[in-house]
Amino acid sequence: MKRAIPVVAFSIVGLISVWRYEPSLGPAESTVTTAPTPSASSSAGSASAKVVKGATITTEKGPVQVQVTFDGDEITAVKLLQQPNHPQTKAAVPKLVAATLQAQSADVDTVTGATITSEAYKESLQAALDAKGA
Amino acid sequence: MRRVEHVMGFPVSLRLDDQDVPTAAVDVVFDWLHEVDERFSPFKPGSEVSRHGRGELARHELSAELVEVLDLCEHYREATGGAFDVRLPGRGFDPCAVVKGWSVQRGAQLLRASGARRFCLNAGGDVVVSGGPWRAGVRHPEHADQLCTVLELTDAAVATSARYERGDHIIDGRTGRPATALLSVTVVAATLTEADSVATAAFAMGAAGIEWAASQAGCEVFAVDAGGQVLRTAGFPVAGEEPEQSAAVA
Repeated sequence: MKRAIPVVAFSIVGLISVWRYEPSLGPAESTVTTAPTPSASSSAGSASAKVVKGATITTEKGPVQVQVTFDGDEITAVKLLQQPNHPQTKAAVPKLVAATLQAQSADVDTVTGATITSEAYKESLQAALDAKGA
Repeated sequence: MRRVEHVMGFPVSLRLDDQDVPTAAVDVVFDWLHEVDERFSPFKPGSEVSRHGRGELARHELSAELVEVLDLCEHYREATGGAFDVRLPGRGFDPCAVVKGWSVQRGAQLLRASGARRFCLNAGGDVVVSGGPWRAGVRHPEHADQLCTVLELTDAAVATSARYERGDHIIDGRTGRPATALLSVTVVAATLTEADSVATAAFAMGAAGIEWAASQAGCEVFAVDAGGQVLRTAGFPVAGEEPEQSAAVA
């Protein structure tokens, strides 16, 4: 019986990662129909980690359901399981991509950067571009 | 044609590719920016901004332009929970963070009104382009002679906030201390008014500012945190990449 707990936990974790990678470009609203609401289950990793799904709320823009991951009393993740396919809602849930900081030189027309002083400009890439084209 | 002038303490570079637009149209842009410097500089004791800051001009006595700037400042103060604040205790009224983007955007609109179609206006690192494609490099936060990414823009604005040029000049209004959680934040938007304000406000907010900026309608974001990790929106228009449909432009 004890062995069953990690198995169940891993399946839940697996399911969550499927949801996480659900494409955001789908034309229809996303729906998750399996989970009874609200429900709680412990997940693998930390003994105190707990994933809780909220009830599905019907708003004027469509159904909304959130899932919150707790580590003890601390919230470690919040995810929208259901959200209306509406621009306003989409804008509120930005999709961020992580990447490594790279250093490159390339042929460009202009350079954006923190506000440069007139003194520092002389040494800047933008000054070189301005001089090149003059 | 190209022209570089120093206004408000930073260089303004204009490249205009339309041969049929008269030089007078370019003069109008730089005249406007010099006028903004006179009227909105907190460093000139006689400016409208300084007089308002000292309480000599009440709101109903202000120009329509300064009222517009004040409304923008208030909008971003509320939207950031006070992280972005142009009235910091002991520092006086300083709306420079909004004035810059707003005034350069208006300069670009003056150019368009004169018939300019293809131009690139760079005001100390904040850029408005028209009639692209234009390739805009984002300065690497740690190496002044390197880029960390390159954008391809058609008609858009891009602004970057960081500490590497002017040090800890962006204060988190909630704590009164310099914002140091990010190395740089770059925002692409339809106007420089939005791009510059959102980039500065996000920088003031710190790490949470990245998601906040990404959630602003029409904004694409490229941020580098203090650990050198890049976080960007899927729709950030990196040159040579097919841009994903982004949440922010949906």
